[in-house]
Amino acid sequence: MDMKRDYYEDVRLILSPVAGLWFAGLLSFLYLFPLFVDNYYIYVANYIAINVIVAAGLNLLVGYTGQISLGHAGFFAIGAYGTVTLMAKAGFPFLVALPGAALVAAGFGFLLGLPALRLEGPYLSIATLGFGLTITQVIGRIEFFGGREGLHAPDIVMGPWIIDTDKEFYFLLITLTIFLLLFMRNLIKTRVGRAFIAIRDADIAARTMGINIVAYKTLAFAVSAFYAGIGGGLYAFVLKFIEPEIFSLMMSIMFLAMVVVGGLGSMMGAITGATLLCWLDLKLRNILDIPYVGDWLEHLSRSWFSITGVSNIQFIVFGSIMILIMLFEPLGLYGVWLRTKRYWRTWPF
Amino acid sequence: MVDLIQMIVSGFAVGSSYALMGLAMVIIYKTSEVPNFAQGEMALAASFFAMMLLTSFNIPLLPAFFMTFVFAAALGCFLEFAVLRRAKNPNVLGMIVITIGLEMVLVGLVSWKFGAEQKSMPFPIGPYDSFIIKGIFISKLDVLTLVSALLLMGGLYFFSRYSRLGLAMKATQQNSVAARIVGIRTHGIMMMTWAISSVVGAAAGLLISPVIMNPYMMWDPMLKGFAAAVMGGMTSLPGAVIAAYMLGIIENLFGGYISIEFKSVVAFAIIVLVLCFKPSGLFAKHYVKKV
Amino acid sequence: MNKSVQFILGICLAFLLGFTWSVQAGEGVTDTEIHIGQWGPQTGPAAAWGSVARGTGDYFKWINETGGIHGRKIVYHMFDDGYNPAKTKAGVKELQEGTGIFAWASGVGTSPGLAVKDYLMENKIPWVGPSAGSLSWVTPPEKYLFAVYPLYFLEARALVKYAVETLGKKRIAVAYLNDEYGKNGLDGAIEELKKHNMELVARVPVEKGDTDMKPHLMELRKSDADMVLLWTTVGHAVRIVGTAKAMAFAPQFMSTSTCSDFVLMNEISKGLWEGVICATFGELTDSDHPGIVKYKKEVFEAYAAKSERWGLFYAAGIIFTEPMIQALKNAGRDLTREKFVAEMEKINGFKGIGPMISYKPFDVNDMYSRQGGTQTFLVQCLADGKAKKLTDWMELK
Repeated sequence: MDMKRDYYEDVRLILSPVAGLWFAGLLSFLYLFPLFVDNYYIYVANYIAINVIVAAGLNLLVGYTGQISLGHAGFFAIGAYGTVTLMAKAGFPFLVALPGAALVAAGFGFLLGLPALRLEGPYLSIATLGFGLTITQVIGRIEFFGGREGLHAPDIVMGPWIIDTDKEFYFLLITLTIFLLLFMRNLIKTRVGRAFIAIRDADIAARTMGINIVAYKTLAFAVSAFYAGIGGGLYAFVLKFIEPEIFSLMMSIMFLAMVVVGGLGSMMGAITGATLLCWLDLKLRNILDIPYVGDWLEHLSRSWFSITGVSNIQFIVFGSIMILIMLFEPLGLYGVWLRTKRYWRTWPF
Repeated sequence: MVDLIQMIVSGFAVGSSYALMGLAMVIIYKTSEVPNFAQGEMALAASFFAMMLLTSFNIPLLPAFFMTFVFAAALGCFLEFAVLRRAKNPNVLGMIVITIGLEMVLVGLVSWKFGAEQKSMPFPIGPYDSFIIKGIFISKLDVLTLVSALLLMGGLYFFSRYSRLGLAMKATQQNSVAARIVGIRTHGIMMMTWAISSVVGAAAGLLISPVIMNPYMMWDPMLKGFAAAVMGGMTSLPGAVIAAYMLGIIENLFGGYISIEFKSVVAFAIIVLVLCFKPSGLFAKHYVKKV
Repeated sequence: MNKSVQFILGICLAFLLGFTWSVQAGEGVTDTEIHIGQWGPQTGPAAAWGSVARGTGDYFKWINETGGIHGRKIVYHMFDDGYNPAKTKAGVKELQEGTGIFAWASGVGTSPGLAVKDYLMENKIPWVGPSAGSLSWVTPPEKYLFAVYPLYFLEARALVKYAVETLGKKRIAVAYLNDEYGKNGLDGAIEELKKHNMELVARVPVEKGDTDMKPHLMELRKSDADMVLLWTTVGHAVRIVGTAKAMAFAPQFMSTSTCSDFVLMNEISKGLWEGVICATFGELTDSDHPGIVKYKKEVFEAYAAKSERWGLFYAAGIIFTEPMIQALKNAGRDLTREKFVAEMEKINGFKGIGPMISYKPFDVNDMYSRQGGTQTFLVQCLADGKAKKLTDWMELK
């Protein structure tokens, strides 16, 4: 595709002045749009941004290192609970609590990476699934973490600023997201990233070339857990209330789906996958409001199905989208992008 | 002492339903290396279909069950044909996502059609009638599940080992191109595999439905069945069943003596431990990757 | 990075097309409309409770057809949150800031409710009748949050008191769902037993995903309890009672209002629910109480969907919003949120088809200023799902 002529070109973030202009445009859009839209859309943007962070982290593990994890909701939960308890019970400021909790999550990620050294495929998925379930059960049992009643997240105080509206939180969040994504992108371009890719493609060959599988696999788990932890910590403030039930298996599956649907091994893919699936998740409940389709669905519901279950259409649409994307484009949304790009580039052939 | 035996017996009972789900998942994995997350919902669709036949159309019991199995087989064939076959370059993750998508579609359809309230299934054996032997009780339904699980396991094992079709299934799994060259209709084999697995799942669903019947009833048995299959080795039929029983018994013993709350957690912890020592499960042959 | 950035920009533009420019979210009241919203789990494992939201919807339809409220019709916004607090918050924000909602009615679930409680209270938006008897709504009481559902904690106390004082039970055990709902019940039981100088002989937690109840029953049987209080979901309760019968263990089972829909319980348990005593928060749905008869005929038969059932959950949608309608009527034509709150506070001794509801002027130290429903009565399940009233409405305080 785009040929890189030397190493420095490969790692460069901004490839040309025009690209720089687009990038600046993107940044200004991201920072300016909250001034023009409803608060509700800012909430949606916050929710999406958090999922983007987690998806990017999971992509590192699944897309670039080739492991499977069905337990990322566990790291997410550790991040959320860790941040809230460090802030509320131990009095640490937000900027210390958040990385602190994420580091704890990374520690657990490292622990999970150890059995992962020997497992693969469905075996690894069960091990990670078990981990995810265990974490929520254990947290729910401990009264210090609010037990089953859950915890309320306190307001964030950073120096003179108190952040308690969605808009203010958005600015904090988007800055963090951009920073984390840039870090991830750079990580992938370094030797660490290339080691991950080597492990995914041919781990025995990688070992013979001197790449320390143990170190890099566990590192992949730890970094992706770190991202999930940060996402979790931020989520606690978007929702303002956390309880163990929220961090269910369904959430882990959603994360995995975001990465796979977006495109494995591509950061843009993870971002778009997360954006699309979150947006669908929040918006599909309004499916009955679509002018013609909604009425037709209701009519169908009354005659053949039960009207009481009509909202289940969301699941059907969601599942169908996942299936269709995977069937027609195994590379996910990124693959769709590549195909359109290639089509336009090589038009009219 | 009585309590201990009771717990072991109950563990057997609960292990049987896990065993049936585990069997269903292993059958599919053996032939097509797809961990089928939609297994539970396929069983769910079949059970609700049975309920619909029994209550809305008032069809007598045996014909209704027969029709349900036919429906389950047809559903399995249809899903394989329409969805799984169309996947190009399937890698494990892609298949997982596709089966999860299928699972969502199925559960959405069942919920939509039948509503979300608890229903009751007119089953000939009440869920709570039981035999009490010297203070140890086991319900009739559990005995039926146990018997079915063992029979199905035995039947499938001998089928896959000694019949032509079973041999063809093995060949398809090992090298589908070579199998096709030798003349095996791999597409037909795959459809058959899904059909068999769906029927086994339907049996599991029907046996669970007298106790609990709502669109989310198969979620937990499927997870436990999957976990059991993994622990036993995803390519070994007897392995899945034995592991399922072990899982049930360990769960019950732990719940009885230590803590009911952490029961499921311990089950998964044990599985992870087992996998640490035997990465391909207890009873499967560990295929060492050749470079 | 060049093309990828373009790509992201394209996506963002697509989003922009889906946005509306800032709409002034009004008070939710116009000359002809009052906007009231509710969330409910229409999908997901809690979907059996979806009928609450639908019941409210049909009730509002009936109100509109019979004259509305001072010339205004109620515009009802119901959305499905799948019992997922993130979706609840998204939906509430969207409706509140997009359409503008005057007040929120009912709403199933403690955790979805807690996720939006702070948001609603900060923005001074009234919320009446959450569909859960949790202590979280009134500790501490909030000016704009009016609870109707009698507290689980107090229901448990009433049930245990009846068992100990009237039935003479000596060994009480509790099987509780391991979440806030179950814990509330457990705490209530413990509190009441303390007053009688007794303790629980067994406390058995039940996880939401548990299908096999045998380990739980074994522990209960080991404790040799003669009364078991069930504070779980409908499905678990039925399985516990059934497994107990299979094990030939027969204590007196008692349960909470969520399991008091005897027709449903009888059907799922295939008759095994007979003899269980429950507390309940509403007049029995098959009784000839004039309010029940009226609603059944004029609301349910007129507006409910074909597959809907006239049961406790559906009626709950009416019970939790009756006081709201009363206050809206009393507030007159000149309707604002503050006036509505003032009228709600004046409600004293209101009796619809639920418990007697009374509020007081807001006092942050008095939870009864915002806990309106404080009555319950006990019923026993008879064969065929019929119910026998064991007590009359009793005050719980």
